[in-house]
Amino acid sequence: MTGMLLAVFLTAAVEWVEAYTIILAVALSIGWGRALQAMGAALAALAALTAAGSFLLTRIQDLRVLQLLIGVFLLLFGLRWLAKAVARGAGLKALHDEAAEFKALRGRADLHDRRAAWLVAFNGTLLEGLEVWFIVVTLGVQTGHLAAAALAALLALAVVAAMGAALHKPLARVPENAIKFLVGAALLSFGTYWTLEALGYRWPLGDATLIALLAFYAMGGLALIRLYAGTRARP
Amino acid sequence: MRGLFKTLFGDARHVVAVALCLMVTLAALRSPAAPAAGLVLPLCLLAAAAYLARR
Repeated sequence: MTGMLLAVFLTAAVEWVEAYTIILAVALSIGWGRALQAMGAALAALAALTAAGSFLLTRIQDLRVLQLLIGVFLLLFGLRWLAKAVARGAGLKALHDEAAEFKALRGRADLHDRRAAWLVAFNGTLLEGLEVWFIVVTLGVQTGHLAAAALAALLALAVVAAMGAALHKPLARVPENAIKFLVGAALLSFGTYWTLEALGYRWPLGDATLIALLAFYAMGGLALIRLYAGTRARP
Repeated sequence: MRGLFKTLFGDARHVVAVALCLMVTLAALRSPAAPAAGLVLPLCLLAAAAYLARR
């Protein structure tokens, strides 16, 4: 359960940092009151989505089907994050830069229109939050700790909000790529474990396999970063 | 809906990569090498990550 909560917390932290950049840019245009109102509306929508998502998933009576479905979803999500983190770590893609993102947002002409800016804050929080929603629902439902998973996501929100309130600037120093790399490896581990178990495979080490899988994906990912960075550096 | 799917799971390449990994794993599970399926899926997924990182 600790690993699951940590994965939820880290996923949420990365996404809330990106959402905070948007809220900050909007707040400087239309004021904190309206920007926070838009964020609150998006969070309410995400809470409703969480309730609906968990309701739909818990309607699946066959636990193996549920496990397979969640496992495959996590493989898709985890693979995307790990591949992206490897590409960014090796320099094949530019790192996500919150300061540059903030600058680009501040330069948007529609940010000076109250209604358009409110929508930018709402859509931004909703889009970033969708990935949090997905992780909370899949990991929460599969482990039977949905409330704890939701609390971990809210705790991440509180931490990011506190950092934002203290700094009043984009949280550019958060090591987003390292976190995405670790979360991608963790989600692939959960996905691999549950998918194969749902297909009838019995893991020789039981739950301890998750640690071995995490080590495999993390070390494999690091090896790929070194390989691609080396290939890129060669003339 | 398509946008939501892409936000969560990436483009068609990601879906195809995972589908191929699962097909190889299923084949392994139904062969005499079934006990090795626990190695087949992680290796396939790491190979998929290596491919997708370059795209």
